[in-house]
Amino acid sequence: MDTTLSETQRLLRESLRDYLGNEVPFDRIRELEREGGADQALWEYLAGAGFLALPFAEAHGGEGGELTDTAVVLEELTRRACIIPFLETTASALAIARHGDGALADEVVRGVIGGAITIAPALQGSTPANGASPRVVDGALSGERRFVDYGAEVTHHLVEATENGEPGLYLVETAADGVATESLSTIARTPLAHCTYEGAPARRAGGAEALQFLRRAGRALCAVQCLGNAQQALDMTVEYVGMRVQFGRPIGSFQAVQHHCANMATQTLSARFLTYRAVWCVDQGIATDREIAKAKALASRAGTEVTMQAHILFGGIGYTEEYDLHFFSRHGKERALAWGSAEECLRVAADTLDEVQPWQ
Amino acid sequence: MEFGWNEELEAFRDEVRAFLQEFDTPALRKELANRGEAAQLGPEQTRLREALEDRGWVRMCWPEELGGEGKSQWFQFVMTEEFAKREVPYGSGFGTMVGPAIHRFGTEAQREKYLPGIWANDITLCLGYSEPNAGTDLAALETLAVKDGDDWLINGQKLWTSAADTASHVWLACRTDPDAPKHRGISTFIVPMDTPGISVRPIMTMSGGRTNEVFFEDVRVPSDALIGEVNQGWYIIANALDHERVWIGAGGGLRHIFDRLMAHIREKRPELLEDDVVRRRLVELELDLDVMEGLVLTNASIVASGDTPTMEASMSKIWTSELRYHISNVAMDLLGHEGALTEEADGFAPLGGELERTYRASPIQRFGGGANEVQRDIIARRGLGLPRH
Repeated sequence: MDTTLSETQRLLRESLRDYLGNEVPFDRIRELEREGGADQALWEYLAGAGFLALPFAEAHGGEGGELTDTAVVLEELTRRACIIPFLETTASALAIARHGDGALADEVVRGVIGGAITIAPALQGSTPANGASPRVVDGALSGERRFVDYGAEVTHHLVEATENGEPGLYLVETAADGVATESLSTIARTPLAHCTYEGAPARRAGGAEALQFLRRAGRALCAVQCLGNAQQALDMTVEYVGMRVQFGRPIGSFQAVQHHCANMATQTLSARFLTYRAVWCVDQGIATDREIAKAKALASRAGTEVTMQAHILFGGIGYTEEYDLHFFSRHGKERALAWGSAEECLRVAADTLDEVQPWQ
Repeated sequence: MEFGWNEELEAFRDEVRAFLQEFDTPALRKELANRGEAAQLGPEQTRLREALEDRGWVRMCWPEELGGEGKSQWFQFVMTEEFAKREVPYGSGFGTMVGPAIHRFGTEAQREKYLPGIWANDITLCLGYSEPNAGTDLAALETLAVKDGDDWLINGQKLWTSAADTASHVWLACRTDPDAPKHRGISTFIVPMDTPGISVRPIMTMSGGRTNEVFFEDVRVPSDALIGEVNQGWYIIANALDHERVWIGAGGGLRHIFDRLMAHIREKRPELLEDDVVRRRLVELELDLDVMEGLVLTNASIVASGDTPTMEASMSKIWTSELRYHISNVAMDLLGHEGALTEEADGFAPLGGELERTYRASPIQRFGGGANEVQRDIIARRGLGLPRH
């Protein structure tokens, strides 16, 4: 048991933080929000510097690292509000690599590590689609999926679909005939698409196990994003209230403000333990839906409540478009809902209350 | 990062479980149930305690010069956890807090005089900190120790001195320089409770437990009762308080309450589980317990890596103490009127009256051991670095 960062993780975090601080100014995020799309230059850097290879087996050209290493990178990217399909691509490729078709795995993982392949999971979400659930007949996929993060920006979709009544994951090229994406605007202003497939050529990438892994990895990593937004908002708040002077003293010296900060820090640290443990359990193959749901519920609340409390302490300046705080409150809320909101996750835990084991 | 237990610790956990299998006997249970307020251990507890000493488990994680083996703090954690699961006490009360202070700040002669007795539980301690005018503002304490020849003469009053009626010694904070700034005029002493001039008056609390006020009237103690340098006391106390916060934060008992609540509902009130709102509230309690576990393990991790948690210890203390109130309150609420029954309502009280008992005993966890408001100050100032002024 060790909740502290390993030396490797510390180095990953520091080097990425330096790079992002220098090369990805918040105005770059504003530009992407205005013009749409993902940060291609950042993606190329991540590929070149080896960040995309971390969790994959050496047999596929990966680093053979732990998924918690990738989570540390994801948290850092989140703390800079980066707009890239890092979670989506990593979780999808891992699902294929660990539980999917062997030959396809090598091709996909090598493509991902090199930066040429990006993947968006297109799974059954909580909001029912109007159209038909995707089905595959003779290698052709038809149906629709909402909501697909980065659906219009990635090179491939990994679609949850049925074939002869059996659930599975199918890899589809975004540029293929029969794939259409329609962008949906969200509070986060990050890419989201409604996708329709009409006889799109699809390759089977995995079965029920791969699908289950993808759901679990996606939810656990999304909890990391919630956490990253909370941590960033907390750190910005502590810095701001420590220097903002009113009534002749920093407002951070007032006990009322300090106690808000103490509560924000406690909520963030609490979410941190469960979130990283969930990621670790996914990596070890010992995760349960129930434990991951509880971690995501907690992280979702932190990502929402800590970022909103930050606005209350910042006052007017944090409310403006020019200031950077809104990236984290907007992203934090959207990530709180993605991959299962707190309410949805708590329902999972409540429905499986019989699984609770006595402490012994 | 690593969220599992390595083979060595798993093997040790098995050893502890086997140990408890052997020593957690009906005779021990009976002795624990009937021990009342006694600070001295009964024969069964003594047997268990000696067996622990034989195995070298009591201080295995302490530095070698303290008679320990310098093992990873995780061994201590695993042992504490297994004892907590069985609800078997093994600690020597405040000795685990005062012992290290005497080791660190005392002379060689003082170590030899006190430490073996503390480890053997022949010396039991109460804490002489709080006073009528020095509670949360502990440094305002006024009990005066004045040098008189080679001796010290102590006059004053302590309050909320739990175990003063049973302990053999008091770990006492006194003012030794009334003219110095308040943090710089305090010293710490260890004083036998049977010293002439000490009198103890009981104060009963709403938890049903007893605490005391203790009066010191021309109490004469020799110079070697002083631990550490004169006027170094605040530093010594602050060190020991950090230790106490971690200790209070370990709230294994709350897990048992949750388990018993679930068992009670399943057996006696199954209709409650048909209600989605009840299920949701139970899950929320479980999540609160998960957070508690996370904070405790985060603290333990920091200790095991050789650092001292400050902000994290305070977070754990706040969370666990507030959860003690919250879990008993929600549980009583979910059960309705039966939640109010005490253990005297024999055969009717859910959890044998543990819910109302926990509820009544919960306030002290929140205001004691450094009030939670002060803990939030510590998180903000020492942890986050926010300015004092």
